[in-house]
Amino acid sequence: MALSKESIGKQLSTFPFTIERVKVKEFLSAIGETSPIFHDPQAAQQAGFRDTPIPPTFQTSALFWGYPDFWKDMQSMGIDIKRLLHLKEEYTYHQTLYPGDALQCRVTVADIKSGKMDMVTFETVFLREGTPAITALMTIVVPPEASHE
Amino acid sequence: MNKIPEAGFIFPAYTIGTVTQMDLVRYAGASGDFNPIHNDTEYAREAGLGGTIAHGMLIKAYMGRFLLQHFPLSALSSFSSKFKAMTKPGETIEIHGTVKKKDAVNGILTLSIEARNQAGETKATAEAEIRI
Repeated sequence: MALSKESIGKQLSTFPFTIERVKVKEFLSAIGETSPIFHDPQAAQQAGFRDTPIPPTFQTSALFWGYPDFWKDMQSMGIDIKRLLHLKEEYTYHQTLYPGDALQCRVTVADIKSGKMDMVTFETVFLREGTPAITALMTIVVPPEASHE
Repeated sequence: MNKIPEAGFIFPAYTIGTVTQMDLVRYAGASGDFNPIHNDTEYAREAGLGGTIAHGMLIKAYMGRFLLQHFPLSALSSFSSKFKAMTKPGETIEIHGTVKKKDAVNGILTLSIEARNQAGETKATAEAEIRI
């Protein structure tokens, strides 16, 4: 199915997400990250952080837990969510984030390429006190249906 | 890292281990990405994948662990990855990294990172910029 390019630039959602310490711990455990700076506030402080920081990919949790309608909204755009694959994920870091930080997250449709393969890029800006802390670009692709040649 | 490596430097391979279905369940819960292709075998088969596949973002998280073995988190400026092949439970992941570019003038070190399985198949590639 061809996707309409009308959605380019559209804001899909803006939602709050507070970084919970236990959620970060669960994430660290799931990815096998054992470095003391993420687990022990004292070790973090010795390394120059004010508390245990979040690891470099934790913000994906803010997106999926903070915006559970993401899948439904992708479907509304005409994306076949049963067949989509994650193609790219690009992060730019502006500030370190910590447990307790109250984020405002803004998701927009950054780009749509429609053709044999539909490709959509979503931009999520994670703001703390109005200032971007992390910018994320997620590109998904819907491969063509098997042609049964 | 005490001494900043030069372009072409190859980091020692970093072994993650074998990805299990339990790892995918734990990552689904932690990340909130409950796309059933990662946790429902029947659904994943119907989707034509032959079984569940790992979240690309779990592989990216493994590449992040590799980065932090060598550089402090506060030096990380950007981290972009591209997912190349599906990872299935039972595959073993190892992370490889090289210094792609050293820009001493602007103080940026660019790394190329690859996640490969036991057969050397590339699962994901990434580029990271480190402030030096």
